Amino acid sequence: MSALFAFIRFELVRLLRSWKFLAITIGFPVVFYMLFLGEHTAGAVVDGTVTWRVYLMVSMCTFGVVVAALNAGGSRLAGERSTGWARQLRVTPMPAWSYVVTKVTASMLVVLPVLVLVEVVGYTFGGVRLGIGEWFALTALMWVTALPFAVLGVFVGFMVHAETAYPVVTALMFILGYFGGLFNPVSQMPHALQSAAQALPSFHHASLALGFLSGQTLGAAHWLVLIGYTVVLGLALMWKHRVEESRGLA
Amino acid sequence: MSRSKVPRLASVCGARPTGSGFTQYLGALGLSALRVRSGATYHCGHGARSENHPGPDIPLPTAQLAVSDHAVAAGAPAHDAEAALRFKGVVRRYGKHLALDHLDFSVARGETLALLGPNGAGKSTTMSLLLGLLRPNEGTVEVLGTTPHNAVAQGRVGAMLQTGSGSGLPPGVKVSEALALVRRLYRRPADFDTTVERAGIGALLCRQTNRLSGGEAQRVRFALAIAGDPELVFLDEPTVAMDVDGRRTFWKMMRQFGAEGRTIVFATHHLEEADQIADRVVVINHGQVVADGPGATLKAAVAARHLRFVVPEPDPARYDRLEGVTDVEVRGTGVTLVSLDADATLRDLVRSNLAFSDLEVTGACLEDAFVALTACGRKLPPEVDA
Repeated sequence: MSALFAFIRFELVRLLRSWKFLAITIGFPVVFYMLFLGEHTAGAVVDGTVTWRVYLMVSMCTFGVVVAALNAGGSRLAGERSTGWARQLRVTPMPAWSYVVTKVTASMLVVLPVLVLVEVVGYTFGGVRLGIGEWFALTALMWVTALPFAVLGVFVGFMVHAETAYPVVTALMFILGYFGGLFNPVSQMPHALQSAAQALPSFHHASLALGFLSGQTLGAAHWLVLIGYTVVLGLALMWKHRVEESRGLA
Repeated sequence: MSRSKVPRLASVCGARPTGSGFTQYLGALGLSALRVRSGATYHCGHGARSENHPGPDIPLPTAQLAVSDHAVAAGAPAHDAEAALRFKGVVRRYGKHLALDHLDFSVARGETLALLGPNGAGKSTTMSLLLGLLRPNEGTVEVLGTTPHNAVAQGRVGAMLQTGSGSGLPPGVKVSEALALVRRLYRRPADFDTTVERAGIGALLCRQTNRLSGGEAQRVRFALAIAGDPELVFLDEPTVAMDVDGRRTFWKMMRQFGAEGRTIVFATHHLEEADQIADRVVVINHGQVVADGPGATLKAAVAARHLRFVVPEPDPARYDRLEGVTDVEVRGTGVTLVSLDADATLRDLVRSNLAFSDLEVTGACLEDAFVALTACGRKLPPEVDA
């Protein structure tokens, strides 16, 4: 167990030391929040439930989760698989599953500060006011439901090559962000795109949190989709890992 | 030695009318003969061979000889415990490509073994199987008396794999941090400072892993390979990114490490390296063991000599019968004899009263010779092999 903790700590240190990673994961959601907030629109009500400042904060939290998970897992993992480091770890006594578990755990752990940071920006710049319990519950909810994205990131890292990782990760960030209704409420999108959003985990991740804040829904459907994504991606990851192992590539 | 030797040596094999490829050639050179042979000299030239060779298939293929040798010794249980690793009839395919073709060999504890062979011979596949990264399609691989996977999981094995263009190191950390992590993954790692000293990376500890030269990165990867204080170390072409000085230093460290009673298996395509470092050399080509013996013997065996001279009317049939001659090449009035015993050939040549002038004796460069030897098996048409 201590080996696993040592490895998770090692991964976290590497992530938090990487300026590129920090600039992208912190920069994107925070800058977008400030950019899209707008003095006049901040108080406008979205879909008759929450204000724009709250909608945008939650959306950027989700976007932060997407960016952090895809970059921590996807491109970095693909990169270190191509350098042979992942293979070197395979010839240590550390069991093969530890690598995957560590990657997912590390992604989950870097997601948390990103959530908190966007919330701090929402409070200070956006003027979002929630009860202390609501803040904690919101953070916990968005953090727990970040799991499918952490798994997705690691899965992408296993699927793509180092050279193709960046375009793939960028495309996924755009799809999950824009089509998931993180920059524009889904209700304002064309009809075809509205149904497309229903298929994306990012839409459900944000909607679950917004539903919680507006106190309207339990969000059973959102939970279902997010759990479904976690299970399917988890199985796909296990399958991919096993295939790699049998070919001696993992 | 000049490069021009290569095609000539290759022609030694190419000219052979019968036989089973490279295996037989190396066997003929005396490698397999170490284990079996009775004193007769086997030649792979046209004439001499048919007279001295007991039969087309007799002492070969070498792989089986080596194994049968072991099988005898393995009768004693003590030997079994001493084997660090054992390959038994291992077959590994990639799709239709047969990477390992019934590979058999074993390594005793404390032995330093070189796996020698050209690119694509099956060295890296062998390494991957030994580490449990791959599973054999047929046959068994045994490492330290258990499965490769168990041996690795028990932390008794260390390895330095090929990394292609990558450094094999985690980016974004210092060398010391990478080493500290790898130590944590083993239950009984070697002392940190000892490992640093063994690998000679004291000056690199504070450097970022992505700011190392190729040779420095290799040394750090060696440190990672031995961080767990393994009984058995696998090195897949460890000196590939190093300059001459780096190589020398690296092998010095390696030898010291091996002197502590550890088993070392390394893959290389440098004959010199194999010869100087290893106690024993196993030559692989086309996924088969084609030779197995001490490096010095291999070196001596491939150190064929060329005798060149000029005669007005060359008669190839007569030169073939000279002692030690394995091949004859005639171009106009120029004759080149390839000999495994240049002294004997020369004596015989003088004794035979054959007219010759402008005699010149040259040695074959080891590297060139090896390239030529391993190229032979490939060049040989399949119907000749059968």
